[in-house]
Amino acid sequence: MAYITGPDVVKYACTCGLLKPITHLYFCRYCTQIRCSFCVCHEIDSNFCGKCSENIPSSEARLKKNRCGNCYVCPSCQQDLSTRIASKGSANPEEAKSTPKKMYYLLCQFCRWSSRDVGIPDQSTVTGGWPKRENVHANRLQELVDSYKAIILASKKHQQDKEKKKRVKCLSYTDRTGVTAAAIRKRLGLPADMTHPMLKNRPKNPEPAKAKSEVEDLPDSIFTEPLNLAEIMSIEQRLLQPEQQPTTVDKLFPVHKQLSIKRSLRCRSCEHNVSKPEYNPNSVKFKIQLFAYYIIPEIRIVTVEPLRSGKTSELIVKFTNPTQHQTTITFFELDLDEVESVVTEEVAEVAESFEQSLYLQEKQQLSLPSLGSLSQPSSLLASRTPSITVKPRRIKEDLNCKIGIPESSFILLPRDDAAEYDDSGDSHNIQDDPKLVKWRKSNKAFIRLYVTPNEDLPLNSEVTCGFVMQHIYTNTITSKVENKEPQQYNHKVKVFLTLGNSVGCD
Amino acid sequence: MMSRNNIKIFPGAMVCEESKLRGDITIGSGTIVHPSAVIIAEAGPIIIGDWCLIEEQVKIVHRLPFDQQSNENSQPVLIIGSNNVFEVDCIVEAPKIGNNNVFESKCFVGNKVTISNGCTIGAGCKITDEQILPENVIIFGVNCQMREGLDRPGPQTLQMETLSKMLPNYHHIKKPNMKKE
Amino acid sequence: MELRDINYNKGEYVETASGNKVCRQTILCGSQNIILQGKVIVQSEAIIRGDLANVKTGRYCIISKEAVLRPPYKKFSKGVAFFPLNMGDHVFVGERSVVNAAVVGNYVYIGKNCVIGRRCTLKDCCVIEDNTILAPETVVPPFTRYGGSPGVQVGDLPECQADVMVDFTRGYYQHFQPLKLI
Repeated sequence: MAYITGPDVVKYACTCGLLKPITHLYFCRYCTQIRCSFCVCHEIDSNFCGKCSENIPSSEARLKKNRCGNCYVCPSCQQDLSTRIASKGSANPEEAKSTPKKMYYLLCQFCRWSSRDVGIPDQSTVTGGWPKRENVHANRLQELVDSYKAIILASKKHQQDKEKKKRVKCLSYTDRTGVTAAAIRKRLGLPADMTHPMLKNRPKNPEPAKAKSEVEDLPDSIFTEPLNLAEIMSIEQRLLQPEQQPTTVDKLFPVHKQLSIKRSLRCRSCEHNVSKPEYNPNSVKFKIQLFAYYIIPEIRIVTVEPLRSGKTSELIVKFTNPTQHQTTITFFELDLDEVESVVTEEVAEVAESFEQSLYLQEKQQLSLPSLGSLSQPSSLLASRTPSITVKPRRIKEDLNCKIGIPESSFILLPRDDAAEYDDSGDSHNIQDDPKLVKWRKSNKAFIRLYVTPNEDLPLNSEVTCGFVMQHIYTNTITSKVENKEPQQYNHKVKVFLTLGNSVGCD
Repeated sequence: MMSRNNIKIFPGAMVCEESKLRGDITIGSGTIVHPSAVIIAEAGPIIIGDWCLIEEQVKIVHRLPFDQQSNENSQPVLIIGSNNVFEVDCIVEAPKIGNNNVFESKCFVGNKVTISNGCTIGAGCKITDEQILPENVIIFGVNCQMREGLDRPGPQTLQMETLSKMLPNYHHIKKPNMKKE
Repeated sequence: MELRDINYNKGEYVETASGNKVCRQTILCGSQNIILQGKVIVQSEAIIRGDLANVKTGRYCIISKEAVLRPPYKKFSKGVAFFPLNMGDHVFVGERSVVNAAVVGNYVYIGKNCVIGRRCTLKDCCVIEDNTILAPETVVPPFTRYGGSPGVQVGDLPECQADVMVDFTRGYYQHFQPLKLI
């Protein structure tokens, strides 16, 4: 099971030049381009606790430093702690009869650490009210955080004002119409005065830390007493509590569990979502799921004959069509030099489009004031993070094996979920090239290819080959909206196969 | 070495028929042996105390280390104390086991390790080096980390009560062949 | 890589009307309490403890050799009760793994030689790597990969994991064929 445990032997090239297995790729149907987690924007949809599966609003998550308020992890082995009941009667035997009080303590069921180990008293409620431990440096840290926040705020404001000043230049036209810049500022709801924000609310500098020259001497006991390793904390345990960093195990205190996130992914060039999960933390369904696994034909290696340098071996690969539309697969030679030229071309395109967008922005800025009513401030344009176009990198993969590119192409039937329950054999009537197509069943086809590892390949080295697969991508969005025939595109994907190690000549 | 099976079961013990017992084995009262547990008394008799819980796929083997196998005359006895819990698929070859120990799933205890009382051998831990485990020690994690517990692990009497009610409904139980002392 | 055919001896397996393939060399205790929803493969020497509590699996589950499915128990002040073990669809349990979980979701992959502690909850779409030891009462959230001892999150899973698991378990079932006598 290659996708779950095994190594990834079939990799597809993302538009950005990274090679990934198909399960990790996305396909933006607006750009008809492959995307991967590296070249999309990640946005946090929701925070939740992995143990209690509860959604936590982002403001609360920030307040609690991205930790769950109710769940704890073991300070000794980082496993979830569970709450145990200790129905202990009170010390007074007469009272015990009347109120069998339930007390709770925390226990790690892996290493058997318990809150009693470090002398935390048992609590009377399930959810705890476990004593919080004050950080001795809390005040100082808060002071620093506050001052940095103020600096960020000030610089942000500074930047904003700078932008506004630029706009003011454009607006200077309006002087003729009798509307002054100050009036517009007022209309926009901005303060009228223009003093430099860095000067105005300059954050108060926190007291600088002072270096001490005198350090307390080590106690004598450290040289004389033997070390008991069972009482010393491990590095992992110390790093789990960065505020305290205690050295001995009797200072282990339960730690709040860190939150997990659900995230949606957004294509950087067209700003459409390629993945958006449902809100419920337990749900594994998606509102938007443009995964390559559902769109691009999947390739799997079935068998490969022993690979010998300079000798041709037969390679059987399986193609699966995941879509509801018939597709035709055509092979092309993969030329890494050609890749380079494509890259440069795209870069040129990118540069061009960038200029274009700049031009557009300028035009918009010019046209905005002429509209008169400034009900929609141009900040709307800047509210979203501007799309960052990543320059595609060159694919780094050493191909040491030639693959015979078949001249004929073949058809992959659409996926039919009902076919699983249909026992009557395949009734397709497709004229296949028997040299190419070994066998086919519903939306799958077994294809015979020939590979020849390079002559100079040393023994026992990994053999990699690659080709370009062209398939027909049927775009269904336009057809839904405009009631048109679905648009069809020829989409090319670079595919790299790791075939295994070469063996000696016999 | 032991060609004949000699199984002694005290009343109150519950030994499922589907368990595999080989050699000279004595099982104390209250002890529960689940189906497909394996107990092999190869080097000498095994005496299991009262109220032990032996789950499925457990392998308790009495096997001597190589350097002690030469003297044929002696037949050391493996004595397993009371209230020990052997969880699913643990392999225990220890030459001596005290009381109130817990052997969690998939742990391995070699035949040079002596277990005292109240020890917990965590799931998946393998201990083979010659040693005597002190009381109330807890072994856990991938590197067999050790820490000392406050007290011994709680007994499983409640679970065993439930089991002793349920198991006879589904399994053939070996009849006790010993009388109460 | 495409799965190879896995052949079994026809005499060793029983195939039910709903497509379950159960080896004769398994230990199914309390079989009246075990529900296999169909197209489930239970391989040789696997143990399912239906005598302790109900065990229910979904469709297309694979219980590999010598794996143990064992309902978990919970202590109360008055005694111990065993709780049913519910398993979703498209679950793979690797060889020699011990599953003591309360709930195993859909599309879950449990590797070889794992211990899933008492009353664990494995949510949908998670992977437990080989030789993982999950502490009792651990909750494994969706789209995570757990490994190590004690089991901690070691990675994420792709969003299409559900379909990958469907494809894998279906493929496994299709490739699990009796030996043909030539």
